[in-house]
Amino acid sequence: MLSLGSGGGKSTKPSFVSYVTPEDMKIKEKEEGLRSKHPYLLPGEVVFCSANHVLKYTQEDASQRGVYGTLLCTNFKIAFISGESASQETAPPFRNKLLSENDIPLTCVDHIYGVSDEKKKLIIGGQVKSKYPSKLIIQCKDLRVFHFSLTYAKEEEAKKIFQGIVHHSLEPKSLKCVFAFSYCETASTSQASRKSSLTLMFETKEDWSMELGRTKGNCKVSSANEDYAISEKLPQFFVVPFAVSDDDILRFLGKGIPFWCWSHHSGCALFKMACLPTIQEDGISQKYMHRMLDAVTQDQLCPVKIEDLSSCLPALQDLQLSYNKFKQLFLIDSTTEFWVSDMKWFSSLENSGWLEIIRQCLMKAVEIVDYLESAHTSVLIVEEHCSDLCCVLSSLVQIMLDPYYRTRSGFQSLIQKEWVAGGHSFLDRCNHLYQKEKEAPAPVFLLFLECVWQLLQQHAPAFQFSETYLTVLSDSINIPLFSTFLFNSQHHRDTAMKSGHPEAQRSPLNFPSVWDWSLQFDCKAQSLFTNPLYVEKPIQDKALRKTSHQKHQRQLSLPNTLSKPSPRKGFFKEETDNLKKIFLGKRISKWLNPTESSKELYESWQRKPLDYQGLLLPYLDGPAVQVWMQRYLRWVPEAQIFGGGSITTVNRVLELASEIQDLQKEVERRSCRMNSSIAWKQVYSGPPLSARLSSFPFTATHAWSFKPAIPSSIRQGLGSVSSLADKEDDDSQGSGVL
Amino acid sequence: MLTGSKTSFKIKQLVPDFKDKTLNFSNTALRSRETSDFKCLPGERVLQRTQPVRKPRAGRGSSLTGALLCTTFRVAFVPEEGIAKMEDRDSVPVFLGEHDVALASIERVVAVSPSRWKVLSARSSLRFHPEELVLFCRDLQVLRFHFEKSSAESAEITSAIARVYQPSVPASLSSFQRSALGSVEVKQYLSNRGADPQMNWFEGLQDWERELARTGATAWRVSSVNDRFEMATSLPKFNVVPQRILDTELKRTFAHFTEGRIPRWCWHHPEGSDLLRAASFQSNIYHEKHDARNLEALLFGRHPQCVIVEVGEDMPPPSEIQAAHSRLQALCLGDIPASLSVSDEKWLSSLEASRWLDHVRSCLRRSAEVSCLLAEGDLAVVLQEAEDRDLNCVVSSLVQIMSDPHCRTLPGFQNLVQKEWVSAGFRFLHRNNYTRDRDKEESPVFLLFLDCVWQLLQQFPSHFEITEVFLLTLHDRAHLPLYSTFLFNCQRERGRNTQHLSQSYTPVNGWQELVNGGLAPGSGGPSFPPVWDWALHCTPERRDSFRNPSNTPLSPGTFSSPRQSSHPASPSLSLQLSDCSGSGPGLLLLFSKGSLGPAPHLLPWRNAGGAASGWKNHRRAPFRDGLPRLERALKGQPLGPRGPLLPLLLGPCLRVWRGCYLRGALQTQVPPPVSSHLHVDFLASEVEHLRGRLALAKGLDRHGNCKRAESRGTNRKPRQETTNHNFLFAGNRGTGCSPERRYTQTPTRGQKHPKLPP
Repeated sequence: MLSLGSGGGKSTKPSFVSYVTPEDMKIKEKEEGLRSKHPYLLPGEVVFCSANHVLKYTQEDASQRGVYGTLLCTNFKIAFISGESASQETAPPFRNKLLSENDIPLTCVDHIYGVSDEKKKLIIGGQVKSKYPSKLIIQCKDLRVFHFSLTYAKEEEAKKIFQGIVHHSLEPKSLKCVFAFSYCETASTSQASRKSSLTLMFETKEDWSMELGRTKGNCKVSSANEDYAISEKLPQFFVVPFAVSDDDILRFLGKGIPFWCWSHHSGCALFKMACLPTIQEDGISQKYMHRMLDAVTQDQLCPVKIEDLSSCLPALQDLQLSYNKFKQLFLIDSTTEFWVSDMKWFSSLENSGWLEIIRQCLMKAVEIVDYLESAHTSVLIVEEHCSDLCCVLSSLVQIMLDPYYRTRSGFQSLIQKEWVAGGHSFLDRCNHLYQKEKEAPAPVFLLFLECVWQLLQQHAPAFQFSETYLTVLSDSINIPLFSTFLFNSQHHRDTAMKSGHPEAQRSPLNFPSVWDWSLQFDCKAQSLFTNPLYVEKPIQDKALRKTSHQKHQRQLSLPNTLSKPSPRKGFFKEETDNLKKIFLGKRISKWLNPTESSKELYESWQRKPLDYQGLLLPYLDGPAVQVWMQRYLRWVPEAQIFGGGSITTVNRVLELASEIQDLQKEVERRSCRMNSSIAWKQVYSGPPLSARLSSFPFTATHAWSFKPAIPSSIRQGLGSVSSLADKEDDDSQGSGVL
Repeated sequence: MLTGSKTSFKIKQLVPDFKDKTLNFSNTALRSRETSDFKCLPGERVLQRTQPVRKPRAGRGSSLTGALLCTTFRVAFVPEEGIAKMEDRDSVPVFLGEHDVALASIERVVAVSPSRWKVLSARSSLRFHPEELVLFCRDLQVLRFHFEKSSAESAEITSAIARVYQPSVPASLSSFQRSALGSVEVKQYLSNRGADPQMNWFEGLQDWERELARTGATAWRVSSVNDRFEMATSLPKFNVVPQRILDTELKRTFAHFTEGRIPRWCWHHPEGSDLLRAASFQSNIYHEKHDARNLEALLFGRHPQCVIVEVGEDMPPPSEIQAAHSRLQALCLGDIPASLSVSDEKWLSSLEASRWLDHVRSCLRRSAEVSCLLAEGDLAVVLQEAEDRDLNCVVSSLVQIMSDPHCRTLPGFQNLVQKEWVSAGFRFLHRNNYTRDRDKEESPVFLLFLDCVWQLLQQFPSHFEITEVFLLTLHDRAHLPLYSTFLFNCQRERGRNTQHLSQSYTPVNGWQELVNGGLAPGSGGPSFPPVWDWALHCTPERRDSFRNPSNTPLSPGTFSSPRQSSHPASPSLSLQLSDCSGSGPGLLLLFSKGSLGPAPHLLPWRNAGGAASGWKNHRRAPFRDGLPRLERALKGQPLGPRGPLLPLLLGPCLRVWRGCYLRGALQTQVPPPVSSHLHVDFLASEVEHLRGRLALAKGLDRHGNCKRAESRGTNRKPRQETTNHNFLFAGNRGTGCSPERRYTQTPTRGQKHPKLPP
């Protein structure tokens, strides 16, 4: 059923023999090799069109250096298959199984520019083009930029591929056209029902009860919406306070109900709620609201604080605008611009406002944490549909408060709970279908990942997963294969999977979940997802930390007198008294802490010894919020440090860790009695990482930059000496082992 | 009030003999509260003391409780829990403990009570009882002390500190120095301290010869024409010049350069190039033909080509560096005591506006360019700056750090500073402006250099042996007027003060009359130790964290073996000039604005007559040969492990040295700078420990001759579900940079597993 490969038989007779240049001669030699190379296709993947002799520039400037190969457009991706496959022998350790280096999933295409006659023009889908540009620039959502030249391809092929790419990646399409459907039709039997065991999917009642039990939440699982009887936006099961009856839920079709998110150990909890439709006359809805609030407060047992997000956080459109501006800083067409922008780097970064949005979100989350943690007040987050920034905030709050969500499985469960079950409209927000009339796309989930990254880089040992994991997760959004990111709600998914199948009698399609990482990466690559320096939850019965560790394990939150009587209460009381005394009144330390509102929370948190299993608060001052370098700069060769970067430190840690492991094994072998206290997790197996670049693991081999190593905006260009340079490069590359 | 008070109390003290360490306060007022936890220096007197005081820890965690003392030398904080540790006397540094701050580095004293605050000076009176004392230091630290009970006592010590710190009076500076170093015991002690054998002080003839031998430079010799500073007062006594220039010829060249700072050799690249530095040419002087030949010989060495790099071009002048630094300081510390002067949203653009990072970038860029040039082999690169005393120091030392792995080790770095700054005559005294009477000349050029090194360090963490802690400590100590390293403008001044430390030379008596006012110590004045004697003022824990454990030890093969012959192996460059050593001028290029160009008019003596044009014609062909290669060197690719470290200079790649500039403003927010480094440290020590146990086991157990290396290679099955153990890091957290726990833990672990079964 698959169409056979790339080249077909068409390309055997080049039509341009009349103007043979040395370059063309080379192409012909390679053709033999080319035709034998079939693209690697996934099950269900179909090649729409292809073109040979496409030149992919390795450097986006005037040097015109590049690789010839075949450009394909399938129903899944735009792929470039290089004729020179020799470089493949050094396969990077971190390879995506679904996509190779030069593949762009159709949904990952951000913008396409066509260059003809030296003029760069943005190409918009929907306009039928008879002309095709000589050069194609594809900007991806994961910030890669590809430059393809169609000059050497046959006219017919070039036209076809251009139209194909534009049609399939830029024009509106229906959900059914998304690759996941054809993939699952063919591959569903083999992939079916492979569940990542530790991640709770929150699709069943049991998952919710388990979560309720874990956090000791004082709520009930409601199955009022089973089979989506009430609302299509809501999940089948959700958790509400005891006092909320099924009638209440039915009343406004799920709006205005406080959904439980998480319970603090003090008994207060985090809820979220969609706004009531405003058309209702005041009396009814007010009364209703009162009842709901009562339900949340459990009859005034626990005070509640309402956070209305629309008033304090930027609108989605602003989010999108700001992200676009921010993104532009890293999508550099001609890298010479980059040199010039150095001087203005910080102010343009600031102008984009993206970091400021991150700061605002984190700050708001800290506020909510403050209510839960120090005031023991329940918090009710209100947003119009409670599925956008609401998800960002509730997940952030939970990550800060609950160490479980800082493990990998916990983090995945959290995304399932708050985002997937919470009904975040992934499809609309990512705009995978290019349906312009739909709601505005906005990088809400990315914003969340950004915020998590800020926490991660400030408190690395508190997280079980690594920065690489987050980066890969952010890339996975753009792979149109995973049920996690393809739908607007659970109902949407269920109906799509059922009806999407042509033969309705067969069992519904089973889309893979993104958490099934083995689909994308092998074990070795997955080991890069774990943070080798993670400080795991202490195991109680060890004799090790009898002495000084007692203090560290003390709960960070103020002691909950009901459940946890502090063994050293007297001391603790004294300490808090002192704290209180110190922090009474107006203080000079005001400037130490920019977040006025939750100043005391910060201060008391900072008094305590750092506990990675306790509360985590982000630092929010100007210098602390940083740019996610790995995600944004990994493809920019000029920003890669050869043999440098923090990866070398990580490398060293891994090396030492594995050495410790070996030594321990050795010791164990000699004396099996004394070892049990130390058991190291296998962090990375195999040969030492050959991380030569700071952007490891994303670009393991250096795309040699032909720019001056030292930027100088006022450099006077002299003649190109690249051929000489090449020779030298090879030499230095040969010896370039770290 | 402080000076001369030595006689009023008895000194019975530690120095120079550490055996007698009992403390004896003779001050009757303090006798009642005498404790054994704090020891004064012989010349030091405790003025005020209060207890208990809480000091928030840097980084995280509960604050320390202890006693706060104000002495004539420092404000000392003695933590209670530290007392037990004090038993181990040898670990205590002589001058400054971990929690001490010298009076001279305090910039402002602020007393805070719940309702008000006040900046205190010597004359102002304190009308309330402060609850908190905030000390702003010149090195951008901010120290805060909370008084447990705000009483008259807290007011007393606050005003005592305000009285004695007196920032800007030269007299108070020398009294401060005297209280620290002036006593006979300290002098004796210091003079008995042996010099670090690894240090190269670049004071004597052998020092330079050692360096020549280390780098493998052959065509150079050490000249002692400036032995008595007759030729150039700011130059060191010994200078390295081309071998074939006789001293008599050399003497005639001094006049041609500003301040007599002739081109001198700094460093030899293993590929054959040499780095030189010089001041600008003296313009209004007649150049005899004979002189011109000598001058060119001096510039070219034995190389056929010479590239002159105008270091000052496009670079910030010292005054601008100073302005940028104060903008940065204002940005980071804020206007005292208002809140951070800039809001967080505007932080980035204010940072940009401070232009500090631009200056860092331009220094790094210029140095990277020079490093690339040097890597090409067989040329002499002459760094030329008007006075050769500011940016030349920065650039030449950065070039060496980028190109020479030795300079990235701890002793190597110290030697480098000694060579390119101290002995080369960087005006530390004027630039640091300790006495606050030379505001015009104040400029933190040295701090700019440290920042550049930090940028390199954070981009190439595995290439450095020195750590951020080391740079930070050096940064802080540069603000203390206690070290011979930072107190003098040139070797001549230094030699007069530290004769006993540099035994190689006894000053001629005649120089005594030239002694300048402020710091004239005379024969009875204090003698200053070099800053490199870290044991004097740093705890062993801190000293331990000077070295980066993740730095792979330098294998001798990586760099330090110079090419057997100093002749470059590149025939393509062998111009037809190989015998230019004679009379003919070599190929002279000017490196300017990022590109190379011919520079016939650069040398004042060359454009004197019509010979210049003839020379130009004559030299055109080789010029064309040599240029592209050099141009390419500049466009150079990253050269792999053997090449220089070329820093990335893009906007996102240069960062703020948070651990330094922001530790005051955000003291409680900045995570300890060394966290990840400590992890590595910890792992490394764990490896050591396990190896030790294994070795022990080996000793007991003969038959199992384990080979660790082999076992590493064997298949390791991933144990995904085994629990990661927190043990290694659990002890680590919270304490920030307190490696002492590390030290206490390792032995306990050892005790837990006392013996391996045979």
